[in-house]
Amino acid sequence: MSGISRRRFLAASVAGCAATTLAGPKKALAAGSFTGYSDGMGVLVDLTRCIGCRSCEAACNKEQNLPAPDRPFDDQTVFDETFHGGKQKRRPDENAYTVVNRYNPESSDHPLFRKVQCNHCNEPACLSSCFVNAYTKTKEGAVVYNPKVCVGCRNCMIACPFNIPGYSYSSAFDPVVKKCIFCHETRLKNGLPPACVDICPQEALTFGKRRDLLKIGNQRIQTHPGRYVDHIYGEKELGGTSWMYLSSVPFEEVGFDPNPGNEPIINNVKDFLGTVPMVLAIWPAMFTGFHLLAKKRDGHDDHDQDADQHNGEEGGEQ
Amino acid sequence: MKMLLECGAKPVDSHVDEKTEKSWSFMRKMLFGLTPGQYLGQALRNPFNWILGIIFAIGLPLIAYRFLFGLSVVTHGSNDYPWGLFLGFGLFAMVPLSASGFMLGTAVEIFGRHDFKPIERLALLNGLLGYLFAVIYLMVDLGQPWRLPYPMVVSFGPAAVLFLVAWHVATYLSVQVAEVSVSFFEWIGWLGGKRYIKKITIGLTVAGIILSTLHQGALGALFSYAPGKVHPLWYSASFQWILFFCSAIPAGLCMVIVVSTVVKKTMAWRCDANFLDNLDRCTLGLAKGASMGLITYLAIKLISVAHDNEWGYLTTGWGTWFLLEMAVGVVLPIMLFAYAIRHNFVGLARFGAGITVFGIILNRLNTALITFNWQLYQEIPHIFEVIISVTIFAVYVVVYRFILYRLPILFVWKEQPQEALATEAVKAAPIRTTPSPAGAMYRKMD
Amino acid sequence: MSAKQVLTTLMMALVLVATGSLTQAADMPEQASLDTLAKLFDGVEFDHAMHTDLGEDCSACHHHTTGTGTTDERCISCHADSDEVASVACNACHVADPFSAEYINRKSLNLYQYHVDMPGLKAAYHWNCVGCHEAMDGPTGCQDCHARTAEGDDFYRADASDTSTSGKGGH
Repeated sequence: MSGISRRRFLAASVAGCAATTLAGPKKALAAGSFTGYSDGMGVLVDLTRCIGCRSCEAACNKEQNLPAPDRPFDDQTVFDETFHGGKQKRRPDENAYTVVNRYNPESSDHPLFRKVQCNHCNEPACLSSCFVNAYTKTKEGAVVYNPKVCVGCRNCMIACPFNIPGYSYSSAFDPVVKKCIFCHETRLKNGLPPACVDICPQEALTFGKRRDLLKIGNQRIQTHPGRYVDHIYGEKELGGTSWMYLSSVPFEEVGFDPNPGNEPIINNVKDFLGTVPMVLAIWPAMFTGFHLLAKKRDGHDDHDQDADQHNGEEGGEQ
Repeated sequence: MKMLLECGAKPVDSHVDEKTEKSWSFMRKMLFGLTPGQYLGQALRNPFNWILGIIFAIGLPLIAYRFLFGLSVVTHGSNDYPWGLFLGFGLFAMVPLSASGFMLGTAVEIFGRHDFKPIERLALLNGLLGYLFAVIYLMVDLGQPWRLPYPMVVSFGPAAVLFLVAWHVATYLSVQVAEVSVSFFEWIGWLGGKRYIKKITIGLTVAGIILSTLHQGALGALFSYAPGKVHPLWYSASFQWILFFCSAIPAGLCMVIVVSTVVKKTMAWRCDANFLDNLDRCTLGLAKGASMGLITYLAIKLISVAHDNEWGYLTTGWGTWFLLEMAVGVVLPIMLFAYAIRHNFVGLARFGAGITVFGIILNRLNTALITFNWQLYQEIPHIFEVIISVTIFAVYVVVYRFILYRLPILFVWKEQPQEALATEAVKAAPIRTTPSPAGAMYRKMD
Repeated sequence: MSAKQVLTTLMMALVLVATGSLTQAADMPEQASLDTLAKLFDGVEFDHAMHTDLGEDCSACHHHTTGTGTTDERCISCHADSDEVASVACNACHVADPFSAEYINRKSLNLYQYHVDMPGLKAAYHWNCVGCHEAMDGPTGCQDCHARTAEGDDFYRADASDTSTSGKGGH
């Protein structure tokens, strides 16, 4: 009898160990906090400069070979479009990696325009939620996506706090996630600014090293008292983003989540990921122990007896 | 079926036809002892089969339609609502309802509660099928389901919660296949396989506990990625995974009660005396377990609301909805169970279990779909999405029934005796006349 | 029209042909072709003489003095008594390509100096012209100053189905 228990105990332990080994790297990769590559590039979007010309949308469409739009890119009536009962403005999707929206903020006597695209987080939620590692934060600062491994679970879209990734739902055989990639392949990695920045007539988009942009942004706030809200959105939000915003009105008036917190999204799951190794390490011994205790309490290995009786087969299976 | 039984048909429960003393052919085993004519007759007489037929006639073409023309033709999945009914119900609700396998496995194999033995196999099967169909729902929802093995072999995202879910569900499915295979080995008569599984039962069960703890929790942790999207009353950064894990316990137990109730009502012919006689007692036992789970869940839920100081939300419309979910899905079953256990009202416990299952499904739908994007707008699933979900569930029911009809889940398989003498003995004595030590034990406990 | 107006993408560049030192009215160009950036839009034929008639003094448009000192408060603190510079053409300081790797690296090294956040040439034109046009009710539509080229029509997908309501309208 004791021989059996020992063998079973061993089997349980081996299973547990195997599982532990299997899950070893999980915690390691989840740990730590990353604030961006030091020479990573970024863009500072200055809402006070944007005139809503949508040239950036046109440039993006051309650079990324996206499908033709329903309306020309100089058509400003798109700003009147709202969706889902008037609550929603336009958002990026698989046909447009960036869109410009118009807002009429209470604290401003004229409309403001806000360009929306992937903000290229330092610790991207899409990346940390992807179970096939389809996303990469490049050293240039872009968050890029590998469609060749994407399974299509769309967890990245759930996780993205900015609602950026779009999905080609209408494709049956090769649906993939589509989002702004900072023109990484064609421009960024060759030292060029993204197409939208290049085209902007107003230099509403300033391209540069992220750390320089923070200084420049603060300089603008200082040298133009009263023009800006004293905050660079994206400096710290959600762990910091490569694309950041300056605004003349409080950010919630131009469609930003005013309090997304400064923790990157992955910190919300670290609690859970931290329990994984513990469960893997402790459970096998603990439950095998319970089992042995339960047997001892019964005073006999009734498990085997019961099994024998249940099956009505040879008792000496061991 | 009742008619056939009255005519003397006897469902297969051993390798040997008692009348002819000959071994059943594989074909007859597949027809659980009926002749093809009898089989077809009973199938066609059953009105439930006609309902299933109608569902399949509509649903199966729609599933083909989805795979030929993409998700957009059958779902309202959008960039704001990446996950719809397939995952909201199919994955997030089916998985907790399938926690029964590891719960009963633990109770019987680890804690030595052999009084639950009669229902253990049903619970294990319920677990296996629930997971299997959760994966099938997932396959329908995935953009490129043929890449499902990618996280295992092609590209690893080990820091992602979903990676953990994928690995653990895959591993756990294998574990459950092994656990349930005992019945299959008995059925095909391969004792070697059965003996082998018996030997590693404890290992399998412990592996099941580990994997279940982690991925039941992991499904909750998936929503920790969306702090601004899930309504605060359904979201808790610190407790999300505990809440999902904890609610899976009553969910799994109650699902077994519900399934066993259906079984008792619709296929009593397939159950042996051991199952039927012990069912009421087991049901109350499971109800006890479920109410413990529900009370724990309620406590943690309150703590999580207090921890994040979300009391203010309770007075809003969402708060009313939340209170309704808690009242109907948690508090009401706790009260029903308490009354049922105290007064031995098995029927009431079964009703309570039904409500609990409903409550869990509601909770998962609330988290994944209904309160998701509460600050944006609410999405209503496409009618085709509903039909496909119902169709897959119907397939689940059919497979469930197919197995229950054949494999020794609800009855004990009568092993082929090695000697004629033994054959006599087995024939002479109904299977469960002598009280086993375990039997004595639970009698005491009751 | 707004937007369009400024749009520029394409830009034009100020080629103050004349040059040398424009210290006297006599050296001042009558006409300037701002066309070095022209691509999606034609260059601007800038009627310098007409604008000098409108303006109070040179510093209304040029930071660097051509006879009158700067009036911008932020400049005065350092440049009240500065000498005239050799060229007052916009493109003498504002570069056509402000986001080249080389320019960005140079910026990085001089972050704490003044003028580091200087706009590129395209933005300089648009800010300078459009800001004033808005204040003085001048034309502000893109094509009021520079016609869109065929390449520009293509770029903006002028042929996209819905008829364009775009066009006019200020911002």
